[in-house]
Amino acid sequence: MKQRVLPSAVAALMLAGAAVLAAGPEQAVTFSADERAAILAHGPWPPPRHPDPSNRVSGNRDAISLGRRLFFDTRLSLDGRQSCATCHDPATAFADGKPRGIGRALVDRNAIALANLGLNRWFGWAGAADSLWAQSIHPIVDVKELGLTAEQLRDRLAAAPAIAAAYTHLFQAAVAHDAAERVLVNAAKALAAFQETIVTGRTPFDDFRDALERSDTRSMAHYPRPAQRGLAIFVGKGNCTACHFGPNFTSGEFEDVGVPHFAEQGRVDAGRHGGIAALRASPFNLLSPYSDNADKAAGVPTRHVEQQHRNWGEFRVPSLRNVARTAPYMHNGSLATLQDVVRHYSELNEERLHGHAGRRLLRPLRLTPQEAADLVAFLETLSGEISFGP
Amino acid sequence: MGIGAMTRGAGALVSLALSAGTIAHPAAACPTAEQGFRRLASPEAEIAYRWAPPALKAGQFFTAEVVTCRTRWGEAVHDIKIDAAMPAHGHGMNYRPSAVAIAPGHYRFTGLMLHMPGTWRITIDLLQGGRHTRLTHEVDLSP
Repeated sequence: MKQRVLPSAVAALMLAGAAVLAAGPEQAVTFSADERAAILAHGPWPPPRHPDPSNRVSGNRDAISLGRRLFFDTRLSLDGRQSCATCHDPATAFADGKPRGIGRALVDRNAIALANLGLNRWFGWAGAADSLWAQSIHPIVDVKELGLTAEQLRDRLAAAPAIAAAYTHLFQAAVAHDAAERVLVNAAKALAAFQETIVTGRTPFDDFRDALERSDTRSMAHYPRPAQRGLAIFVGKGNCTACHFGPNFTSGEFEDVGVPHFAEQGRVDAGRHGGIAALRASPFNLLSPYSDNADKAAGVPTRHVEQQHRNWGEFRVPSLRNVARTAPYMHNGSLATLQDVVRHYSELNEERLHGHAGRRLLRPLRLTPQEAADLVAFLETLSGEISFGP
Repeated sequence: MGIGAMTRGAGALVSLALSAGTIAHPAAACPTAEQGFRRLASPEAEIAYRWAPPALKAGQFFTAEVVTCRTRWGEAVHDIKIDAAMPAHGHGMNYRPSAVAIAPGHYRFTGLMLHMPGTWRITIDLLQGGRHTRLTHEVDLSP
């Protein structure tokens, strides 16, 4: 028995057959019914946004304000020289432009750009955190990043009158007398409330996608022809939608894409395999008492995630929204440009993949120079203005 | 199709034990299409199943309800397992589902998620005494 699942609106559009764009000076780009459905599935944008049920201050204006203050505050680092914004700078799309993050020391992975985080299921390249607030704890206490203990964090927040007052107002407890671990969690929840407000706006692609949905060929023609050709590769020959699907252009899960995963000579970055181990060991995961989701329904992925051998070498599939502004790329920042990324998939080294030979998802795309340029042109249309609150 | 004939050695399917341990129930009255159930049958068995939400989407968690309607040997089902894999890619799910019996012969599975567009083969194994019966259902997920 076989069941084909398509959104009804998409199915209705498919009845009209393949889409043919308005003819221009170059050859018209055509999309098959399946490609058209795949394109429409990348929207609409923005999607509905919902508070995090595991964070009781998610969406709270006072929490967003406190979180914003903490995000830029160097008191959160041991030597008072770094803040969250050191590696997640608004001026560089909430990333840092470096291959690997540098806090108090060089870390193993690229600093992921922060945007649209409310859509994530997992956080960090290995998914070691199952909530944004749990992820926000990590850099505070990591000795290579901000390097504070929970006790040091509590003391520093207590010594800052405005922050202490905001904390008391928000969490109904005096920070100086709250348990240090509770202060750490509450500060992370305020940080998460702020980070949830970092969102990307509409893009040229979104305008094209919506025009396609309306069969508005005049508006569709405004989308650059190289980007149209690149989009056709993205949803067709490139099979990029196997992992980069949906409005946020990601499965939210983890894949091995053949990027070497040695953090340094002789030391392997365990990727998702280690991420699952860390998740399970974390006292702050969604199954813990710190989750504000009373019935722990938000913890379904955490409860059911299975650690498998193939998780070695897997890293989180990143969103492609604003990808042109978040170089360098991959978990270790080893690819400097979008051209490098496209070349990586075009000339893929299959020896580096862990999947079963003959049944691999990834194969070298063998793109022509024109196809590679078109694919980059498409990716460059996924950029939108970043906004954040309060 | 019996479990012994299916995909053994492929590494794609992981045998899943029920989190609630062994469950022994006779076949139940078969729910209808009006209740949102579909049927899946082989010479050995027939089940009714439904998903929640009803339309599966790549990357979204869902639950499955399974009702055992008929078994060939008339023995109680003492274990039931569900799994899913992508035959073309040789991988299964990233999650291990668990089950509870919510009525005699009626089970609810949680923790199911098909993380990629394409063709998935969902397998439901019924264990009765020493006999295994496997029922399969294929679903194509668009991106």
